[in-house]
Amino acid sequence: MRIGSFAAESTKKALWAASIVIAVLFIVAPLYLLFKYAISDSASINTGGAPIPLWPFHPTFRSFTYLFSDSQFYGVIFNSLIIASCTVGMSMLLGVPAAYVLGRFRVPGRRALLLGLISVRLFPDIASVIPITEFLIKLRLQNTYTGVIFAHTLLALPYVIFIGMSAFESIPGDLEQQARVMGAGGFSIFFRVLFPLALPGLAAAAIYTFLLSWDEFIFAYFILGLGKISTLTLFLKQKLAYAPPQNLLAAISVLLSLPVIVFSLLLQKYMTAGITAGSVK
Amino acid sequence: MTEVWPNPKHTRIHEVWPLIPAAVYLVGFLVIVGVYLLGLSLSFEKGGTTVFPSMRAVGAVFSNPEFGHALVRTTLFVLAGTPLELAAGLFLALILYQNFLFRNVVRGLFLIPLAIPALVTATLLFILFDYPGGHVNIFLLGKYGFFPAILHTPVNWRGSAFFALGISMLGKVWRDMPISMLILLSGLSAIDPELFDAARTMGAGLRARIWRVVLPLLIPSISAVVLLRSIEMWKEFIFPFILAGKYDLLGTLIESLYNDWGNSNAAAVVALVLVLCIMVTTFLFLSIMEILRRTLVKI
Repeated sequence: MRIGSFAAESTKKALWAASIVIAVLFIVAPLYLLFKYAISDSASINTGGAPIPLWPFHPTFRSFTYLFSDSQFYGVIFNSLIIASCTVGMSMLLGVPAAYVLGRFRVPGRRALLLGLISVRLFPDIASVIPITEFLIKLRLQNTYTGVIFAHTLLALPYVIFIGMSAFESIPGDLEQQARVMGAGGFSIFFRVLFPLALPGLAAAAIYTFLLSWDEFIFAYFILGLGKISTLTLFLKQKLAYAPPQNLLAAISVLLSLPVIVFSLLLQKYMTAGITAGSVK
Repeated sequence: MTEVWPNPKHTRIHEVWPLIPAAVYLVGFLVIVGVYLLGLSLSFEKGGTTVFPSMRAVGAVFSNPEFGHALVRTTLFVLAGTPLELAAGLFLALILYQNFLFRNVVRGLFLIPLAIPALVTATLLFILFDYPGGHVNIFLLGKYGFFPAILHTPVNWRGSAFFALGISMLGKVWRDMPISMLILLSGLSAIDPELFDAARTMGAGLRARIWRVVLPLLIPSISAVVLLRSIEMWKEFIFPFILAGKYDLLGTLIESLYNDWGNSNAAAVVALVLVLCIMVTTFLFLSIMEILRRTLVKI
């Protein structure tokens, strides 16, 4: 009996360990393969019928140097950077004041407003992209930076308001009271007290917005087409259509995801920084 | 809880004005989306002039067999994909619910798919499921030695509706697993461990504890996952766009009507149908949950 239950216990443990290993493999293996393709030499891809190796015969960064030797590629990165930065600027300009009000004041209809914000994000992009593209064509903003920046701001704004709102909410009311007692007015309370304290949350919102615009595909594709202004996602899609070597596709993919992965890791850290801890005594 | 509103009794317009620009921007675009969708759906182009109002675009879409196929495919995609997302999320959440060495590392790993752009994941699947010499085919043919042969001939994954939409679903589930996992994990951590221990003391085995204690308490998070994920499944565009080009879902049908056929009216009609599908699903799901809640409370 005892031996039996011991055996059952160890089987359970083995099953448990196996499920962790399977889950981790399921997530890590595709990423490993993406990286492997990005540093593959061409002989490791065109193997002439032999199975593709799990590690390249001669690992190389040639796909990356090839990409960076192309002046068009710099233009593409530049476009993505411009669009993402302007989207951040515009979203913060519109979103931070709104987040401040929603976070600090009892606005009538606040619940309905927040519910509306969530439902904006539940609306399918592929359905809203048609009317928005048509509208931008009317304004002659198709194939322009401005058009995409408008669209990306629309996508990012609900997130900026949400993240920003909770940043402002988490600042203790006492701080504002004290500043008021000491004679500070509305503007200086906002810029001297609240804004600096909300900064980590707002920075997180800004980074999130940047990344959202950086890897956005649907709106960029409809508004810019495969025309003059190309972003990194459009560049990848364009290459995909011409069946290029897989190591090149993988290299573009790595460059596209790298900022997102790096910033997501940083973001976690930044968001947990408790700046208000101990500021009120 | 600290009082965050300095002046809770009355809010004056000079305090809320900073809200106005963002509200105008969002509401303005919302109105534009609504007006244009309806306007485009109810008109059609005839020799360079726009005829409005007309049901011609609607009629044309509904009599197009490709629309029927896309609607059926999308419905199946939602019906199969949503439980899969739930199962994957639950699996990861239950792993993280236990305490073990390197739990935080594993948690971090589980979040990575979320940080990979959907287009990149789709591209990666495009490469891996290549025909005939992609990694997956070679792997399943048993050519790597460490894995037994399951297939005898390579499968053309992107060449059939079943497999093409299947790998699109795989990509979608892979990328979105962390979201379901996080929702379920927060539901799990809200469960008092004492309940779990009490059930154990009363002689409930692990299976009974999971089925009879954890899952019923997890129903709110599970229903949140099912609702949000089913909406995401209806909305899906990028994975089928890259991986299942020939086999349209509603999302990819909108794209091909608009970009390939230049028919913005038909595209708007399909977009409206998609929005309607999401609304109906949400309504049905909430009604079912309400009925379930009532019957359960009666017992």
